[in-house]
Amino acid sequence: MAVAELTVAGGAPAAPRRHRARSAASRIGTGLAVLIPILVLSSFITYSLGALSNSNPAATILGQDSATPAAVAHLDQVLGLNKPLLVQYWDWLSQAVRGNLGVSYFTQIPVSQSIAQRLPVDLSIAIGAVILATAIGGTAGTVAAIRRGGWIDRGVTLACSAMSTLPAFVVGIILVVVFAVGAHWLPANGYVGPAGGVGPWLAHIILPSLALALPVAADVARQLRTSLVSVLEQNYITGARVRGLPYRRILVRHALRNAAGPALTVLGNDFPIMLAGAVAAEAVFSLPGLGQLLLEAAQTRDIPVVQGVLLVVSAFVIVINLLVNATLSLLYRSTDGVGA
Amino acid sequence: MRRRTARPSVLRLPSARIAVAILALILFLAIFGSALAPQNPLAIDAGALYKGPSLHHLLGTDYLGRDVLSRLMAGTRLSVLTAVEAVGIGLVIGAPLGVATVFLGRWFDFTANRVADALMTLPSIFFAVAVTAALGNGLVQAMLPVGILLIPGFFRVTRAATLEFGRAQYVEAAELLGGSKLYVIRAHVLRKVLPTIAVTTAMSAAGALLAVSFLTFLGIGVQPPAPTWGGVLSSDLDYLNLAPWAPFIPGALIAITVGALNALADAYRDRAGAGTGALLSPVADPVIKTHSTLQALEAADDRQTAA
Repeated sequence: MAVAELTVAGGAPAAPRRHRARSAASRIGTGLAVLIPILVLSSFITYSLGALSNSNPAATILGQDSATPAAVAHLDQVLGLNKPLLVQYWDWLSQAVRGNLGVSYFTQIPVSQSIAQRLPVDLSIAIGAVILATAIGGTAGTVAAIRRGGWIDRGVTLACSAMSTLPAFVVGIILVVVFAVGAHWLPANGYVGPAGGVGPWLAHIILPSLALALPVAADVARQLRTSLVSVLEQNYITGARVRGLPYRRILVRHALRNAAGPALTVLGNDFPIMLAGAVAAEAVFSLPGLGQLLLEAAQTRDIPVVQGVLLVVSAFVIVINLLVNATLSLLYRSTDGVGA
Repeated sequence: MRRRTARPSVLRLPSARIAVAILALILFLAIFGSALAPQNPLAIDAGALYKGPSLHHLLGTDYLGRDVLSRLMAGTRLSVLTAVEAVGIGLVIGAPLGVATVFLGRWFDFTANRVADALMTLPSIFFAVAVTAALGNGLVQAMLPVGILLIPGFFRVTRAATLEFGRAQYVEAAELLGGSKLYVIRAHVLRKVLPTIAVTTAMSAAGALLAVSFLTFLGIGVQPPAPTWGGVLSSDLDYLNLAPWAPFIPGALIAITVGALNALADAYRDRAGAGTGALLSPVADPVIKTHSTLQALEAADDRQTAA
C-alpha cells in the first residue's frame, strides 16, 4: 500500500504498474458481472415500453382501409406480436445481441442500419466536446488555482457557477446567435461527414461540441481548481521548490498529475450527460443524429426504432462508465481520495 | 447521542433569501400568471411581428405577433406544474422506498438497488421521448418518465441517510425500550433524514425543470399553441435571423429558476452542516444534471483561503 502511494508521487516502477493493470482488469471483470444484469434489466424496461403501448402496430402498418381483423391477425403472427411478452423480449434480445435490432415498421430499413448511419454524428460531437471540455476546463482550473484569490480566480468561479445553471440547449442557442447569426464565422446548422472534407466537418461540429463542452468544462475547472489548490499546499511541492526545480515542471509533473484524478472522474461521469446534451445540440443545430431519429420515430410510433435507439444509448452509457472506472483505476490506485 | 442544537434558519443566508424570493415569484406566476397576463397569449397580431421590447409589448412579440411576456406568464403554470409533478413522483416513490429498504431486509435491498441501477442507465431525455412514443404525446406521459428517472436519486440519497442514522445506538435503544418499528422510524430516523430529502428535492426540481423545458423545447409533452417556456424558446429558434435577442428571454427565465433552486439546495446543505456533506453529495443521475459535486470541497477550500 505504502509503496504504491509513494510511486504515485514519484515515477512508477514496473511492479506497481503491473499491479495496477491487474486491478484494472479485475475491476472490468467485476464491473461486467454487475453491469450485464443491469443492461438486461434496462433493456427489458425498454422493450416492455413498446409492448405496453396501446398502439396497434399491425393496424397502423396496414392503414385504415386494409386493416381487416384477419389481416391484422396475420401481420401480428408475422411480426411475432401475438406471443407472450417474455418470449417476444427474448426473441428481440437474442437478435439484438447479434446486431439485428429489427426493421422499421414504416420504412422497412433495418434499425441497426439507421443507427449506424446516425451514430457518427453524435460521436463526433461528443468526442469533440470531451476534447474541448478538457482543454477549456483544464486551462481555466489550472490558472484559477495558480492565481488563487486573484481576479482570474474569481472570474473563473463566477463563470463556472453561471454556466452550471445554463442548460446545453440554451448555451447552444447563445453560440448560434454569437458565432453564426452575429459574426457569420461558422455555419448555424447542418452536418457534413468527415468524408466531405475535414475542414467543413470541423466547422459543422465545433459549435455543437462547444455547447456540450462548456457546462462540463465548468465542472472540470471547479473540480481541478479545488484539488490543485490542496495539492499545491502539500509538503512535496514545497520540497520540490526548495530543491530549485522549475515551477512549470513542478506544476505539470508533480501537481497536475496528482490533482487530475477528481477532474477526470467528473469528465467520465459527465460523458452520459453529454450524450443527452447531444440530443439538445442536434435539435438546436439541426444535425441528423440519434436524437432526431428517435424523435421522428416517436412521432410515428415506430416502436422497433425507438427500442433500438434506447438500447444502443443505454449500452453506450454502461460501457463508457465501465471504461472510465477501469481507466481511473489504471491511473490511480484508488479512485476515491485521489488528490483529496 | 448529540443534543439537538438550534440551527440557524436557512433564510439567514442572503443567497437563500434571493432564491426564495425568486421561487415565490415563479409560484405566484404559476398560479396567477395567465390571469395577470397583459394580453391574450394566443392572440395573433400580423401587424406586429418580431417587435423588440416596447411599452406596448414589454418583452416584444414573436413570429405571429403574440406578446412574449404574456406567453411566458401564461406558460409558467404548465412548465412549473410539470416539473413539480415529476419531482412528486420521484419523492413519493423514491424516498419511502429508501427508508423502507433499510428495515425490510437484504433481499429487498438488493433488488431495489439493482432496479435503481438499471433505471440510472436509461438516459432521461431518450427515455422520456421513448415513453411518449409508447403512450402518446401528452403532458402526463412526458412527466411520467422524468419522474420515474428521479426515483433512483431519491431512493439512493434517502437510503444512505437512513443507513447512517438508522443504525445509530439511540435507534437501537428506542427499539429495545419497546418502541414499534414505525414509531422509531418516524420519531428518530425520519427527522434526521428530512433535511437530506429537502436538498434532493430542490436539486431534483432544478433537474426536472430543465428536463421538462427541454422536452417542451423538442415539442414533447405540450402541443403548440399552448405556451410553455421551452416552447417559446423553440419557436424563437426558427427566426434567429430576424430576432436574435428573442431566445435570451425564455432562456434566462429557465436559467434563473434553475439557479434559484440550486442556491436553495446549497443553503440547505450548508445548514445541514459539514458532517452530512458526504450524504448530501448529489445523485449519480447520469443524465438529468442537477448539481455539481463540489460544494463541500469548495467550502473547505474557502475556509482554508480565509485562514
